[in-house]
Amino acid sequence: MAAQPAKDTSTQELEQKQEWWWIAEKKRSKRLDYLRKAVWKKGALGGNYAPGIKVDLEIPQLFTNMWNFWRYDPPMLRRAKSMAHVLENMPIFITDHAQLVGYMGTLPHTLAWRVDGATMVNEELYNEPGVMPEPEQASLKRVADLNAYWAGNTAVDKLARVLDPEDAVKFLSGAIGWGAPTSAYGYSGKDYEFMFAQRHGFEDILDLIDQSIEKAEDLTMGNPGPEILPVYDRIQNWDAMKIMLNAAIAYARRYARLARILAEHYETDPKRKEELLRLAQTCENVPAKAPSTFQESLQYDHFVQILARLEAHEGAWPARPDYYHWPMYEKDVIKEKNITREEALDLVGEFMIRAYEVGGFGPRWAREGLQGITGTWVWTLGGVNKDGSDACNDLTLAFLQAARLVRVANPTFGFRWHPKVRDEVMREVFECIRHGLGYPSIRNDPLLIQNAMHWHGHPLEEARTWVHQACMSPCPTTKHGVQPMRMASATANCAKMVEYALHNGYDHVVQMQMGPKTGDARKFKTFDELFAAWTTQMKWLINTLVRTVNLGRYKDPEFYGRPFLSAISERAVESGLDVVSPVGDRGNCWVTGFTWVENADSLAAVKKLVFDEKRYTMDDLLNALENNWNGYEQMRRDFVNDAPKWGNDDDFVDGIMVRCLQEVAKHSREIKCPSGNSWPLLPENVSGNIHYSSIVGALPNGRRLGDALYDGGISPGPGLDKKGPSAVLKSCGKIDHVGDGRAFLLNQRLSPSQLAGEKGYQLWKAYIRTWADLGLDHVQFNMVSDETLRAAQKDPEKYQEVIVRVAGYSAHFVDISRKTQDNIIQRTVQGI
Amino acid sequence: MKYKESKNFFPHSDNPQRGDFVERVVDPRQAYYKVKPVNADDEIPADAAEFAGK
Repeated sequence: MAAQPAKDTSTQELEQKQEWWWIAEKKRSKRLDYLRKAVWKKGALGGNYAPGIKVDLEIPQLFTNMWNFWRYDPPMLRRAKSMAHVLENMPIFITDHAQLVGYMGTLPHTLAWRVDGATMVNEELYNEPGVMPEPEQASLKRVADLNAYWAGNTAVDKLARVLDPEDAVKFLSGAIGWGAPTSAYGYSGKDYEFMFAQRHGFEDILDLIDQSIEKAEDLTMGNPGPEILPVYDRIQNWDAMKIMLNAAIAYARRYARLARILAEHYETDPKRKEELLRLAQTCENVPAKAPSTFQESLQYDHFVQILARLEAHEGAWPARPDYYHWPMYEKDVIKEKNITREEALDLVGEFMIRAYEVGGFGPRWAREGLQGITGTWVWTLGGVNKDGSDACNDLTLAFLQAARLVRVANPTFGFRWHPKVRDEVMREVFECIRHGLGYPSIRNDPLLIQNAMHWHGHPLEEARTWVHQACMSPCPTTKHGVQPMRMASATANCAKMVEYALHNGYDHVVQMQMGPKTGDARKFKTFDELFAAWTTQMKWLINTLVRTVNLGRYKDPEFYGRPFLSAISERAVESGLDVVSPVGDRGNCWVTGFTWVENADSLAAVKKLVFDEKRYTMDDLLNALENNWNGYEQMRRDFVNDAPKWGNDDDFVDGIMVRCLQEVAKHSREIKCPSGNSWPLLPENVSGNIHYSSIVGALPNGRRLGDALYDGGISPGPGLDKKGPSAVLKSCGKIDHVGDGRAFLLNQRLSPSQLAGEKGYQLWKAYIRTWADLGLDHVQFNMVSDETLRAAQKDPEKYQEVIVRVAGYSAHFVDISRKTQDNIIQRTVQGI
Repeated sequence: MKYKESKNFFPHSDNPQRGDFVERVVDPRQAYYKVKPVNADDEIPADAAEFAGK
């Protein structure tokens, strides 16, 4: 049984003990309390699903039946017809007290399974104890039948057949990167400008498509010529989009019908009956029409997100809710006063809960890399309007307040800080951090707008619409700026760059020649020889990943395709092309750089101790590394303690960090995405630093195979930043956060006792000012004491609701592995 | 028992042979109403329990 706070414990006492989760329980409404506790948590606990969580077999079965039936149709039409069948026939449900509906499984405790994505993921189902619905034997048989149908025919299977075999083997080795180069497992940006700013309901979009089809049919009936030949395919694509839009409207109206049936035949409470009838009206209206109330606005958005997730396994949730829902909030809460602010807060809290409950089945490497969650739902708050004025509003405050009431680990927020943000907003941001949520992360809005223009040529007005496409990377929400498909597969395990430079491209962990042969490092006489080898390995690693992802993007309309996503994207509605086609996409690619900082610390250690001071030879070092430092403990300590480490405002190592980043940035401009734009680096880790701990070999920074890697993109190694928070910021400030990469993740731990009260807020605000002045683009905070975290390790049942910032996401502390827990505790607590 | 004989079956107005069958579920975390489209003449499975309306 879950622990409960003593009933007579006052809020003040709980605040003093920093047990914010009990305060949330006391303060939130009965509805939010019920709905928050009703969630079946889908995030894997360290890597394993929680008891009671089952894979949904209904939807894959419905989809496969129709996919087989429509086998002679072109890909987009076939997918649309199959999905329409799913939407028409899948069981749906309405939870008691709910005012918002829509879920990507057929029951609250089910995980969605993207059966047509990748055979290698499908086969993992057999290895997961407890996830098969009862009766288990019948479910196993059903899974086996589905897997037999899809084996060799999934999106990844199709791509693997056209990939260069050597690239395919190295990519799939798991050593240098992760992900699947298909929109079946993507992060799809949403064209919020088209749906919300331009106020297009699905019926409006159907009208637009009909007009396009009419014009296209005029062409096909006219003079023959090469220009009309592509039009035939586009008409079929438009038909596919129409099928999806009509199916989506019908799907929403199934909820309307159920709500009305419940109100008229089952519900006895007049208040709930009224809510159900309002819910029915809401689902009648949206997504068919543009929203006309705040509830409809949230419901429209949620339907869009759920429908997109029924079409593909989406690993992220790009959104800007305080901006796009503000018009209806302003109308209902402020101008017309149709609902009270408390009622609006209930809707906002439930909106977050509806996202929190979403989850899909993922392979083990993804679960280990995203412990505690099923995707990085980073919602964007704050920022500026298209004209540069402050976009923060009362709904921004409502989201920040609701977050403290519902305390979900997913979604989290990224707050677009800029100099015009009002103090009352900053206070609410700080309160979330002080309450230990680990979010919002703070993003430097002026700098990131400049960055978006620099790397991808987004016009200023469009760059100002940016949202987090995944954990970190800004992406506009506009016709040509929105990126419909960013796969996690351009995610580089960067520590391999220095590892391969030292081992002539050979990987001693997977025992394979991976990178190019850049020479026997034992014979290197200068640091520049080592750095040249590093540069070659860096280019090889990034090229291998990007080639794969580029091909995946180019072939995706053929191998997977997104009829629903196309139907809500102005670019596709206008062109008749599948939105995953690169045509008309300005491009917004980035290479996620996991395990990045080890490069700087390792290269600095070799330069100082081998080449500059000559305390050790390259032979000594290579012998030690090949033995995983076993038998070389004193030497290992020298490499840890006597070599400068990133994050201490030390120009020796900081210079190497900047040099490495500039080499990558130079290469980023040489390699191109399918739209012809660059691939800048974005150093960050989710919990990849733990996942890769058993894949990255021993390194010259003193790390052994098996030790956790550093946690952030530019965070210093845990406990290695010894000169205080200003030194960390100064080191990070030496990076050009516009020209050296796309964004740079910085984790910091702050002391909750130091930051208590008004004085704490003022200290934190001054810190943020320094952070901005030094030109950093990102920082996020953990503000939970060691005492609480250690108590949670000892007595997890009592601390179920403690949330921590892992990397680009937050998770409940008890849901992450012991190794990740220890890694977070080891991070330096900065006194500011 | 056929779906059409249940008080929890709600036929579609445009096609009474098809309809929605409503079930009440109380799981360890939440209570909810679930619905799925069915054929009026199909037999109700044994695990789909009847429940009382208002």
